[in-house]
Amino acid sequence: MLKGVAASDGIGIGNVLLIEETSLEYTPHAVEDTAAETRRFHEAVEVFVKNTEKQAENLTKTAGEKEAKIMLGHISMIKDPYMQGEIEKQIQGGSCAEAALENMCDMFIGVFSAAEDDFTRQRAADVRDVKAGMLAILLGVNVVDLTAAAPGTIIVARELTPSMTAGIDRDNIVGIITETGGKTSHSAILARALEIPAVLSVENVTKTFKDGEKVIVDGKAGLVIENPTAADITEYTAKREEFLAEKSELEMFRNKKTLNADGTEYELFCNIGKPEDAVKAVECDGEGVGLFRTEFLFMDRNSLPNENEQFEAYKKAVMVLKGKPLIIRTLDIGGDKEIPYLGLEKEENPFMGYRAIRYCLGNKDLFKTQIRAILRASVYGDIRIMFPLVTCVEEVRHGKTLVEECKAELKAQGKGFNNDIKIGIMTETAASAAIADLLAKECDFFSIGTNDLTGYTMSCDRGNSKVSYLYSHFQPAVLRMIEKIIKSAAENGIPVGMCGEAAADPMLVPLLISFGLTEFSVSPVSVLKVRKEIAKWTKRDADALRDYVMTLHTQSEIVEYIKSKL
Amino acid sequence: MVSKHFTVINAQGFHMRPATDFANAMGKYGCRVTIKHNGRDVDGKSLMNIIAACIKVGSEIDVVCDGEGEAEALAEAAAMIENGFGE
Repeated sequence: MLKGVAASDGIGIGNVLLIEETSLEYTPHAVEDTAAETRRFHEAVEVFVKNTEKQAENLTKTAGEKEAKIMLGHISMIKDPYMQGEIEKQIQGGSCAEAALENMCDMFIGVFSAAEDDFTRQRAADVRDVKAGMLAILLGVNVVDLTAAAPGTIIVARELTPSMTAGIDRDNIVGIITETGGKTSHSAILARALEIPAVLSVENVTKTFKDGEKVIVDGKAGLVIENPTAADITEYTAKREEFLAEKSELEMFRNKKTLNADGTEYELFCNIGKPEDAVKAVECDGEGVGLFRTEFLFMDRNSLPNENEQFEAYKKAVMVLKGKPLIIRTLDIGGDKEIPYLGLEKEENPFMGYRAIRYCLGNKDLFKTQIRAILRASVYGDIRIMFPLVTCVEEVRHGKTLVEECKAELKAQGKGFNNDIKIGIMTETAASAAIADLLAKECDFFSIGTNDLTGYTMSCDRGNSKVSYLYSHFQPAVLRMIEKIIKSAAENGIPVGMCGEAAADPMLVPLLISFGLTEFSVSPVSVLKVRKEIAKWTKRDADALRDYVMTLHTQSEIVEYIKSKL
Repeated sequence: MVSKHFTVINAQGFHMRPATDFANAMGKYGCRVTIKHNGRDVDGKSLMNIIAACIKVGSEIDVVCDGEGEAEALAEAAAMIENGFGE
């Protein structure tokens, strides 16, 4: 069994088709008729452009427009005026077209590979693809053509290139294994868009595998099983059917309302960390965004983002959502994050220290800049403000006063905003749970952050392996906190959501239904799964489960009992 | 010669698509287009050089246009950058 990067979900069972890289070797030679050589280069570019346009057209059909754009980017690369100019210069200097092209491509591959950011490094793969495509044309050799692959083919290659994927027929290719590439590489993105199971970064596969060999690809676990036994094949065939059945079952929940078995409607939102993730939330059928973390705007840079920059980011996210709610959490930052320009002091105990709403209330200019940006963006859709780490009523009142100040400032400047913008809090501290009844009178909504609530309630750092056994949202203490928060919200007539990982836990869903949660906010990929889980429960069954669970004394009893009832 | 200072606002900076759109748009003009970033001069018509420059969100850049159609080129550059490349 070989281990690699699980890049595209699903199980593939089939026969290896080894993609041998066509030899693109040549002997560099001096050229005398440089004008003819320059012409030869430009003719090759024209052929390359034509081929690539055709591949992009195919890819639009199989994987979608976004993936096809990658191919069109290759055209822009080879047509780059600087690149063409340098290649022409080298040819005029007596170099052959192949060598001139390779020189320039290798130069950029080197520069891109040495870059600090992942995005630029990944472009090196594009230049390699362009180089290979161009060299093949110049040398007159055939490039890999996957259109003729037999049904049940598992591709084994050093790297899955965009030009390769353009020829893939999804009915015939059942799996992909490569030697390079991570979760965010083109290979991975393309495999997911094509919905073909893929395991990447498996060492030496192109050398150890033979054509026609039987192999199993487990794209969920990131495993490749060579020479599978009959038992392996039976096991994985069952897994494959289970995966496909589950997938088609989940698809039945797409474009549906989120209803429990009685028909009570819930809101099912997504947690996102960047404006462009809003696209993913919509694609995954989220009904809004229940938690938009704003830290990304402040990290990986040298100075504070200004009001306009923040405004643009919030506006972008809310425009994508087209009227669906966007709950923006104000800056949650503290001594545990490396943001050098903020000059945050290292603290003995950053999780209990000067962070989140505490830091923001103490740095009014920074906080008000963010609030003004959020307010200005609120004219473009349903934006709500959420304060993190609240522990007492004064913090909410103080925050709301600053929002009012910002509104007055914007009004004076003649800038628009939603005057009735909703303001809520993350209930994620033990203190906020204890005084949830008081806080509910100050807020328009609650959102339970289970990760921190569990950590603060159990006084345990889940990253510390000596105490992490205490970290569970099924601890009786944590369940009581959650129940108290939800009940207090209901008694005061305000909506209450949950935006921690726990909201997507099938074992917790019935308890949340019984407690009276009104909104679930989960990662985009979990939306359909959670909608399915909610649909399983009537209020009556959920209440019966809750009634018994809350009489139990230990976490293990609770977990065992719920498991027996699912 | 005309020039203007910008802060890059779109989340992914000059990634593949914005860089491609920018280089293609600038390619239409006769003038030279230079992006000044981190003390370096980057050819604004060259996609490859723009990618190599790693211009990220929050980066401070100057765009300098020099020659035929410089005012129009700068206006189009400004529209693209200030609009966050339509993201």
